[in-house]
Amino acid sequence: MLLFFFILFPILLMSMFGYIYPPVPKSNLNTGSIGTAFPNLPVSLVKMDDGQTANLIAAQFIQISQQQGLFTVSESASYQAARNQLVLGNIKGIVIIPQGFSDALVAGQPATVQVTVDETNPTTASVVQSEISAVFNLIGSSMSAQNIHNMDGDRVNPAFIMQPISVTRIPLINGVSSSFQFLAPGFMALTVITGSLQGVATAISREKEQGTMDGLLVAPIPHRSIILGKVAAQTVRGLIQGFLILGLSMVLFGVQIYGSPIIMLIVMVLGTASFVGVGIIMTAIAPDQETAQMMTLILQFPMMFISGILFPIDQLPGWMQYIGKAMPLYYAADALRKVIILNASLVAIMPDVLILIVYTFLTMTIAIPLFDKAMRR
Amino acid sequence: MTLQRTELAPLSEYAIETHGLTKKFGSFTAVDHVDLAVRRGEIYGFLGPNGAGKTTAIRMLCTLLSPTSGSASVDGYDIVKQGNDVRKKIGLVSEKMIMYPRLTALENLMFFGRLYRIERNALRKKSEELLEMVKLTPFKDKLVGGFSSGMRQRVNVIRAILHDPDILFLDEPTTGLDPQSTRFVRDLVKGLKQRGHTIVLTTHIMEEADELSDRVCIIDHGKIMAVDTPQALKDKYNTSSLLEVFLGLTGRELRDSANERISMRAPMGRM
Repeated sequence: MLLFFFILFPILLMSMFGYIYPPVPKSNLNTGSIGTAFPNLPVSLVKMDDGQTANLIAAQFIQISQQQGLFTVSESASYQAARNQLVLGNIKGIVIIPQGFSDALVAGQPATVQVTVDETNPTTASVVQSEISAVFNLIGSSMSAQNIHNMDGDRVNPAFIMQPISVTRIPLINGVSSSFQFLAPGFMALTVITGSLQGVATAISREKEQGTMDGLLVAPIPHRSIILGKVAAQTVRGLIQGFLILGLSMVLFGVQIYGSPIIMLIVMVLGTASFVGVGIIMTAIAPDQETAQMMTLILQFPMMFISGILFPIDQLPGWMQYIGKAMPLYYAADALRKVIILNASLVAIMPDVLILIVYTFLTMTIAIPLFDKAMRR
Repeated sequence: MTLQRTELAPLSEYAIETHGLTKKFGSFTAVDHVDLAVRRGEIYGFLGPNGAGKTTAIRMLCTLLSPTSGSASVDGYDIVKQGNDVRKKIGLVSEKMIMYPRLTALENLMFFGRLYRIERNALRKKSEELLEMVKLTPFKDKLVGGFSSGMRQRVNVIRAILHDPDILFLDEPTTGLDPQSTRFVRDLVKGLKQRGHTIVLTTHIMEEADELSDRVCIIDHGKIMAVDTPQALKDKYNTSSLLEVFLGLTGRELRDSANERISMRAPMGRM
């Protein structure tokens, strides 16, 4: 049970988010490969033009879609019929080749293909639309290449006219980049930090309720030793959890580590230290174990969404980014990601590290006296 | 570090002294200007209905709660200013057992003993002796979680005396125990007195207080109602039972409401 919540739950969450994100599209006009995160989506083709060119292009669309595993294409007699299918949820998009399509092209005019997508699902809708465009771009470019060749013979490279400047990416790291590569360090940081936060809160409240805290408090030891003991124990547990999650992500999702495990360890210890004080503060405030747990949960849930764990923080509106950047989790995840993916040195992540150290001091300065006071109120 | 008693408080005949000791939780006064004087080596029965302020007073003396006003010294040390010195001198058996159910009897003793910086080998020897004294040697390596309440309380009591505290606070040590264990614990308390410990004992069982205490202090609504030997109190009120004395002083009405008041107004006080 415990294992499930501490290890399997983050992994489950990570796998869901990892698969939800469409990977970076690897379309390449030169090789004609488009690539998709959602293979074989059902779409309908409505052909309102029966000209030779229209038929040819429709056939090319079907062929490319099926070859590349983008869509399974069915043909519909009318737009209304296709629309009914889309409303029923049987198809995800409609491609319409309108009347006059062939005539326009034969007359040397650009022609338009119309698209309707299932707008109840924005993610699928945008994927379907962009992939349909990509397929027609592909068809279109081979047509232009042909046209240029017809006009100019072999004197010019058609690519020079169609796309005089192109962009290619030099990979920052060798190997495959995937959503998991982004998610795994974040989840590691999340698990370690929230795990120890909750662990400390729970452990202290449990001892209070159980009565053993009295045994510790009545012994001639300073209160900060009690706190530090709890923190140390929960940090070790958090670290084991974090590395287990990293290990599982390597095995299950092919996540690769390029950086030093020692620096990773330093970042994780600092990440924990930066936030564990908050757990102590909550324990000091909360009257019982349940309330303490509730409070940590309320804190940790939004933190998961706005600290750049599940998606990059840049996707958030400005004010939310500020809140996200106020969370130590953001810096721990950021540093960990740089170390794991980019093999960053300790110097390279120094700003993150310094912020985490400042957080540690701030929270601990508040937490220790507060704990002291709460224990003998 | 050697222990230095303060100039102000030389080794007196009193192990515990309080002057106007008061604890308020919000507007509720749990302990109201209490003056106590517990003599060295005596068993001091601390009696009162639920919510009378016994536990609050004991928790202040153990440095687990800070007093609102007044002062108190335990073995000559001020409970506010010299908390750490006080803690070295006292042992506590509180209402809740101070023991980790997931550790064995011996592990519990070793853990708590180490908090007093008792050297490991000496501690093990001492723990085993004490376990033998309470007849738990065969169970020393068993998890405390599986113990009966009587067995647990025996471990709990010896845990409190591992470091040979001068003063021992026993808060209802026989509550919830079967007659055999009750007898055993009472004899244990007498034995501890023989070993020279000063004992502050709270109990709701008047015959227990009568049997064990050298003197009893009856407290109600945070105030002291009477302090004397059980015999003197019985003589004074012309009865043969301490229970009659107690009921005469504290009344016969039930005290559920007072108890509720404490838990409502002072949720933090009982940590």
